[in-house]
Amino acid sequence: MSESTMVRVRGLSKIYERGGEQLKVLSGLDLDLAEGTFEALMGPSGSGKSTLLNIIAGLDRPSSGTVEVKGEDISRLSESALATWRSRTLGFIFQSYNLMPVLTALENVELPLLLTKLGGAERKKRAEIALRIVGLEQRMDHYPRQLSGGQEQRVAIARAIVNDPAIIVADEPTGDLDRQSADDILTLLEKLAKDMNKTILMVTHDPVAADRATKVHRLDKGALSS
Amino acid sequence: MTFLGLSAKNALRNRFRTVLTVLGVAIAVLAFVMLRTVVWAYNVGVEAAAPDRIVTRHKVTFVMQLPKRYIDTIRQEPGVTVATWANWFGGKDPKHDREFFSTLAVDPETYFQVYTDVAVAPADLAAFKENRRGAIVGDVIAKKFGWKVGDKVSLKSPIFPGDWEFAISGIYTATRKSVDRSTFLFHWNYLNEGMAARQRDQIGWVVAKVSNPARTADMSLAIDRKFDERDTQTLSQSEGAFNASFLGMFTAVLKAIDVVSIVIIGIMMLILGNTIAMGARERTQEYGALRAIGFLPRHLAVFVLGESFTIGVLGGTVGLLLSYPIVQLGMGRFLEENMGSFFPYFRISPGNALLAMLLAVGMSLVAAGIPAWNVTRLRVVDALRRVA
Repeated sequence: MSESTMVRVRGLSKIYERGGEQLKVLSGLDLDLAEGTFEALMGPSGSGKSTLLNIIAGLDRPSSGTVEVKGEDISRLSESALATWRSRTLGFIFQSYNLMPVLTALENVELPLLLTKLGGAERKKRAEIALRIVGLEQRMDHYPRQLSGGQEQRVAIARAIVNDPAIIVADEPTGDLDRQSADDILTLLEKLAKDMNKTILMVTHDPVAADRATKVHRLDKGALSS
Repeated sequence: MTFLGLSAKNALRNRFRTVLTVLGVAIAVLAFVMLRTVVWAYNVGVEAAAPDRIVTRHKVTFVMQLPKRYIDTIRQEPGVTVATWANWFGGKDPKHDREFFSTLAVDPETYFQVYTDVAVAPADLAAFKENRRGAIVGDVIAKKFGWKVGDKVSLKSPIFPGDWEFAISGIYTATRKSVDRSTFLFHWNYLNEGMAARQRDQIGWVVAKVSNPARTADMSLAIDRKFDERDTQTLSQSEGAFNASFLGMFTAVLKAIDVVSIVIIGIMMLILGNTIAMGARERTQEYGALRAIGFLPRHLAVFVLGESFTIGVLGGTVGLLLSYPIVQLGMGRFLEENMGSFFPYFRISPGNALLAMLLAVGMSLVAAGIPAWNVTRLRVVDALRRVA
C-alpha cells in the first residue's frame, strides 16, 4: 500500500441471503482511494454502490476480501471497535442530512464529540470552528427547521469534519438539493479535499456532481467498470 | 450538552404527545396517592395507637356490654395505673341527621386521665365534671356544626330512645394522629340514670392505662383470666389490636384498594411504554445516523431510557403537585370532618409520596426496557434505509 493510498479494497465480495437464495451484490472488487482526493462512485440503482460505501465506512461487513483504511483492515474489527473507529476516522454525510431537530446547529455539530473525552468548552470551540469552515458561523443557534436544505447539509458536513476524520463518505449529498445549493456543497467538498487533505468518497446519481470529483468510479452489477 | 440532556430534549420533541403522556402519568400518580392514602389513613389508628392502653370488651363482640363492676376488678390488676370505661351512644343531631359522628358516654373523672392525648382546657374540664349534662366535643365537629362552649345541643339515639339534652362544656383537640376529633363525649351517669333499672350499670368497654407498655400482652391475658369463670367473659387487647379488630371488617376492601392502586401504575407503565416505543420507531433513521457516526448501541439505549425517565420524573412531579391540594386540602378535609371515626388523620404520608415518585420513575424505566432493547439491536444499514 503506497503512502498516499488512504483506502485499499481487495477482492471484495458481498453476498446477501434472501429467502434461501444468494444475491451477489459485489464480486471480487478492487479499489484504491488516494489521500486528499475527492472521488465519486456512480452506477445504476442496484449496482452495489451504497453497499460498497457502507462497507468502506464500516457499517457493513464484506462476505470476502479486505478493506484497509490507513493500513488497518477494518473487516477484522468487532462491532464496538468499528463504532469507535468510525467516530475517530470517518465522517458521514447523508442525503437527508439526518440532523437532530431538537438540537441547534452548534449542538448537532458537537454531537460526535460527545464520544470523546473533550470537555464541554473544548467541544463547543471545535464545533464553532467546523461551522465557520462551512460558512455557517451566523447560524450556530438556529435549529434545523430554521435552515434551508443547503444550510442543513452544511451543518451535516460540519458534523462530519468536527472530529478531523481522515476519510469522509457522502451518500448522495446533493440528492435533496436544488442546483445552486448542490453546487455550493460540491465546492465545499472540493475545498475539504484540496485544502484540508480529506479523502472523500461520494456516491451519486448526478453526472454533474460526479464531474466535480477528481476521479469517477463506475459500478455495474457489482463490479467496477472504470 | 450531555447524553441525559439530549434525552430530555428528545422527550420534549413532540410536545403535544409528551404533555398528554406526562398528564397520564400524573393522573395515575394522583390516583395511586389517593388510594394509598385511604389505606394508610385507615391504618393510622392502628399504627398510631397508644402503646400503653389495653381495651377490654365482651368476648363475643364489642356490641355486647359488660357489667360495670368489672372496672373495679381491672383496676386491681398489678400494672394498671388508671382505668376508665365508655358506652357507645350512637347519637345524632336532628338538625344534621345525615352527619355521622361518634357519641360516647364516659366517666368524666377518669376518661381524660386515660386519654391524655385528648387535650381540654382545665377550666372547661372542671365545668364538664360539674355539669351532669355537660359535653366535651372535638374541635372538628364543633367547627363543622358551629358549636361553642355554652351551646345547648339535643341528640337522639336509635339505641337509647328519648330526647337527650346537653350543654357544651368544652372543646378538645388531639395530640396524637389516631384521635378522632369529631367525637361527642358526655357523662355516663346521665345515660345510666336515663335507662330502665334492669339496663343500668352496663358498660361498653374498659380502657386501662398500664405502667409498662411492653407487658400489654401478658396483662391482657391476666385480665381475661380473671373473668374466665364469670357469666360474661372478656377479650383484652392492646389499643392498636382493638382498633385493628374494629377496622378488620374492611380488610377485604382495603386489599382491593391496594390492588387497584398497583393496577393503575401498571396501566401507566403500558401507556408510557407505548409512547416511548412510538417515539423510538419514528426515530429509527436518526438512530441509524447516530450509529454511523460512532455511537454505540448502549448510547442509544441511554437515549431511550433517558427520555422515558424524563417523562416519568415530570409525570411523578406533576402528579404529586396535584395530589397535595386535592388530597390534603380537599378530600382529606372532607373525610376528617365527615368520617373522622374512620379517617381521623387523612394526609399524604411521606412514605406514600416517595413510593409514588419511585414507582413513576421506576416504571418509566421498565416501560422503556423493550424499546431500548430494540434500538440496541438495530442494524445500522437497515436503520438508515428505513423511513418511519
